[in-house]
Amino acid sequence: MTELVRFDHATLGYGRRAILSDLTFDIPEGDFLGMVGPNGAGKTTILRAILGTLKPSAGTVTHADGMRFGYVPQRDQVDYNFPLTVIDVVMMGRYDRIGLGRRPGKRDRELAHVALDHVGIADLADQPLNALSGGQKQRTLIARALVGEPNVLILDEPTNGMDLVSTTQILGLVRDLHERNGLTVLMVSHALNEVANYVERIALVVNGGFRIGAVDDIMTHSVLSEMYRIPVDVDSFNGHRIVVARREPQLPPRDNA
Amino acid sequence: MLDAILLFRDALYGALVIAVACSVLGVYVVLRRIVFVGAALAQLSSAGIALALWLSGQGLMHGLASHPIAFALLLTIAGVLFFGAGSGRGRVPPDATIGVTYAVAAAAGIILISKAKTGEAHDIFLQGNILGITAGDTMTLIAVAVPVLLLHAIFYKEFLFVSFDRETARTLGYNVSFWNLLLYLTLGLVIAFAMQFAGVMLVFNFLVVPAVTGLLVSRGMAGAFFWSVFSAVLAAVIGFSISVPFDLPSGPAIIAVSGVLAVFAYLVRLGQRR
Repeated sequence: MTELVRFDHATLGYGRRAILSDLTFDIPEGDFLGMVGPNGAGKTTILRAILGTLKPSAGTVTHADGMRFGYVPQRDQVDYNFPLTVIDVVMMGRYDRIGLGRRPGKRDRELAHVALDHVGIADLADQPLNALSGGQKQRTLIARALVGEPNVLILDEPTNGMDLVSTTQILGLVRDLHERNGLTVLMVSHALNEVANYVERIALVVNGGFRIGAVDDIMTHSVLSEMYRIPVDVDSFNGHRIVVARREPQLPPRDNA
Repeated sequence: MLDAILLFRDALYGALVIAVACSVLGVYVVLRRIVFVGAALAQLSSAGIALALWLSGQGLMHGLASHPIAFALLLTIAGVLFFGAGSGRGRVPPDATIGVTYAVAAAAGIILISKAKTGEAHDIFLQGNILGITAGDTMTLIAVAVPVLLLHAIFYKEFLFVSFDRETARTLGYNVSFWNLLLYLTLGLVIAFAMQFAGVMLVFNFLVVPAVTGLLVSRGMAGAFFWSVFSAVLAAVIGFSISVPFDLPSGPAIIAVSGVLAVFAYLVRLGQRR
């Protein structure tokens, strides 16, 4: 299997401050990887290194020749004040292919419609972006990432702030894109319970540590307890994995006498 | 009334060039929430003019009194580099940095002009002197505005992308810092030249109010640019036409009309929602 991205003893950080050290792992073609950890743990730092916008201070991060990423940013990173329609936004995914100073053509517009069809919102093409629901906005951003015909689809916190229905629909859509089209997917999230039930491999970024492996190898009491430094239980219900941190022991009742 | 307007037609043409250039860039200024960067750059530009006049009054650099644009450009470009490179990454929030620049530049401009022997009254910086624009000044303004507008027309999608979603633009290989700096540079250039004739208040108006009108009326980017330019030109023509025969200050008259158009656009928007 072709490796699309390879980290070789890479140290990542900003300035002199190293956030994660000695990272060694690959993202092979066809992977469905979830990168999970709390905010501030270094997920975005790894993401930037994968995207090539952050160079490692030691070691190397290499990409396969002709790599293209389809990046889906966090929804609040996009400015919804811009008076843009859904199709306008999706076509941005082709801007680098169109070239400097050139306008999108008929073919770009057709491909944008195909991408919208892929994510199930073809009928919203001419709607203003700011009139959409959270789930529809996320589908628009996924369509924009797909229209550039990427090797890897990268989603940054795709279900942040979404309700149960939208979360399930978006995660289902991402899984379909992986299974039907064989697309390599990297999904970054802080929600372990959500991601663990969809992806095939998990990278945990917690407390300055990094662990990557198949879901079955990572989703264990011993690995999660060691990484999160608290007792964590893993159970299953109707075929879904459920991760539960054990409750703190209850304090004895206060003596008011 | 028409005779009086025709008498100042060169001034009107100059005002129209300023209106068009500022109202196009204004759409980005408003959407990117850098309205007060525009104000700070205009103040820096006025401080540059005041500095040139003060130096000239001190017997230094005599030639600069007739070409204060050199100093206006110098200070504005310094501001562009500072704001465009992403000021305020340290302890001071970006809007506070803009506030400090605005206040200090405004005060420095007033102090310098009050001590400049060759200078004019300092309210000229605030109100400008639209009626003083000559045919030569208009040609200078056109020489600046046309390349800037052409650049924006050619690289519209690049400016749009880095303004709308810089992180994704970066992942697609766009040099976001370069495009941001270019946007700020065009902004600084237009402000520095427009400031000489229109004053801080009118330049700030043309950068903000028409764009707000355009964004209120339109649901698309092309419409926002069109209505922004249209309302700026309309405000310039009506404001100018009222000010000459009724002996009103031209800049504030144009701003008042801009404000009325913005309120009208707001009411139209309100009507569309119901």
